[in-house]
Amino acid sequence: MRRALDMLYQAVLVLAACCLVAIALLVGAQLAGRILDGTLALLHLQRTGFIILSLNEICGYLLAGASFLALAGTLKAGAHIRVTMLLTSVGEGVRHYLETWAFGFAAVVSGYMAWHITHFAWVTFMFHDVSSGVLRIPLWIPQMPMAIGALVLTVALLDELVIVVIRGRPSFRAAEDSISLAKE
Amino acid sequence: MPVVELSLVLLLLMFAILASGVWIALALATVGFVAIVTTMSTPAGQVMATSMWAAANSWDLTALPMFIWMGEILYRTKLSDDMFKGLAPWVQNLPGRLLHVNVVGCAIFAAVSGSSAATCATIGRIALPELLKRGYDERMAIGTLAGSGTLGLLIPPSIILIIYATVTEQSIARLFIAGVFPGILLAVLFMGFIGGWALLNKDRMPPPEPPVPFLERVKASRSLLPVILLILGVIGSIYGGLASATEAAVVGVFLSLALSWWSGALTWESLRDSVLAATRTSCMISFILAGAAFLTAAMGFTGIPVALAEWIGGFHLAPSGLLAALTVFYIMLGCFLDGISMVVLTTSIIIPLVQKSGFDLIWFGIYIVLVVEMAQITPPVGFNLYVLQGITGRNIFTVGAYTMPLFLLMCIAVALVVAFPELVLWLPSTMLNAH
Repeated sequence: MRRALDMLYQAVLVLAACCLVAIALLVGAQLAGRILDGTLALLHLQRTGFIILSLNEICGYLLAGASFLALAGTLKAGAHIRVTMLLTSVGEGVRHYLETWAFGFAAVVSGYMAWHITHFAWVTFMFHDVSSGVLRIPLWIPQMPMAIGALVLTVALLDELVIVVIRGRPSFRAAEDSISLAKE
Repeated sequence: MPVVELSLVLLLLMFAILASGVWIALALATVGFVAIVTTMSTPAGQVMATSMWAAANSWDLTALPMFIWMGEILYRTKLSDDMFKGLAPWVQNLPGRLLHVNVVGCAIFAAVSGSSAATCATIGRIALPELLKRGYDERMAIGTLAGSGTLGLLIPPSIILIIYATVTEQSIARLFIAGVFPGILLAVLFMGFIGGWALLNKDRMPPPEPPVPFLERVKASRSLLPVILLILGVIGSIYGGLASATEAAVVGVFLSLALSWWSGALTWESLRDSVLAATRTSCMISFILAGAAFLTAAMGFTGIPVALAEWIGGFHLAPSGLLAALTVFYIMLGCFLDGISMVVLTTSIIIPLVQKSGFDLIWFGIYIVLVVEMAQITPPVGFNLYVLQGITGRNIFTVGAYTMPLFLLMCIAVALVVAFPELVLWLPSTMLNAH
């Protein structure tokens, strides 16, 4: 069970990272095309006219996928931010209750979010909504990873809730308490 | 429920949930949910899904993970070692000598990284031990480092400016360019302070090192040249209108990879770690933005921002009075919130007010970043102080006290930016694609 859950979080995190790499490669390819065409035009040669259709939209969709798919992995790495001032100033006993509340409450909110995003994607699918750009991309395709990400986050929060109740502390306590460079 | 009571209830609820240790994005979403169910018959869940989807799927926001990734790649190179060796011979003859490495090093790293804590940590890790070993004053070495680290927020690329641009629908490119002069102004103020202090406290300065001939200096800073070219390429292409912020960031990613490969730091592990770290950081920020987008939509339903703007407008405050009040408010807020949360949380409420008072939103973005920088170096919550606490082992309040003079210099910088808005607005007005 433990192994399966951790593999699930890691798998969606890697998928999210692939979305970001895809953005870099797509934008990079388009830029290379633009530079090549600019050079060809300077040399009075025929342009290639290379263009990735709906690039901006596709990148936006990939970003949405990356942001939501990475939610669980980010939580497990202790990288989501929260105000820990009270948590770290109370004793270990009170902290246990506070952590239980925080994980329980967060799981409920996250579950609500996952349910409504899933419902939203389902409605989009039923009504065959497509993007407004040149490429008519069915919108449920980018919305589905969002729903999956929110769902896996809910699972991860419930998983941590169980860990907190049993062991008294989240599995990522050390990572969260150490300084993370991204936190401003 | 009348608007005033409702806003008080929501504010208290927000602080209670935040303080209890619930993640910021989820706390924002909860307050948005309560705001909707108490005022409207609109289904809250539907508003939540649509506003989160709209916030998450954004072309402009793709600049965020790309700039973060670029910073993560360079963070894993030997850049910080090179920075000290390369800069030290050049600043030796200035009054204050090697203390200037803190400011210049941070300014350069700030131009490849959008984070102030990362800037502070990268430069601090190398510069601080070297400075202390040479007998420089500890107060000055630590204080100037904490202060200069905040340049990471102002000098482009800046994560917090991307976030501000996204929530206020302003141009990332123009905000980046607007941050250049105030960033340089701040660096000059810091260097002036170091020089002045060194002239007044000659007895507390270590003896000078032997002079380094010009060619030797060039040789020592040779490895910095590619980084400087990278910075000029990224900022220049945004300024020249050749590339959008995202495109410039992607170019930055590929050039950093090339640089990392050329310096021998690129391995499969470092590449994988940089991508995963960037994925997590960008996920953390995007999630807060999604929660904030829902809160903003909900706030629009309640009518609170408009009512607040009218209420404050009723006092007929002079713009300077309003700014002074906001500055105090932000510094207080910064005592228990991080910069990103401060910006997203307040912009959903304060921007209508700011617009009504006739401020330019580009200018206000730079102002807000300066104030967030100040909050960054005031205890008990200040990430630069945490970083230096980690490096030096000094208590956070001690580090905060060392940083006090730089805090005052930042107050001067804010006053200058308020008195002369052209400092911010002139450079973006000369951009090639300026409208």
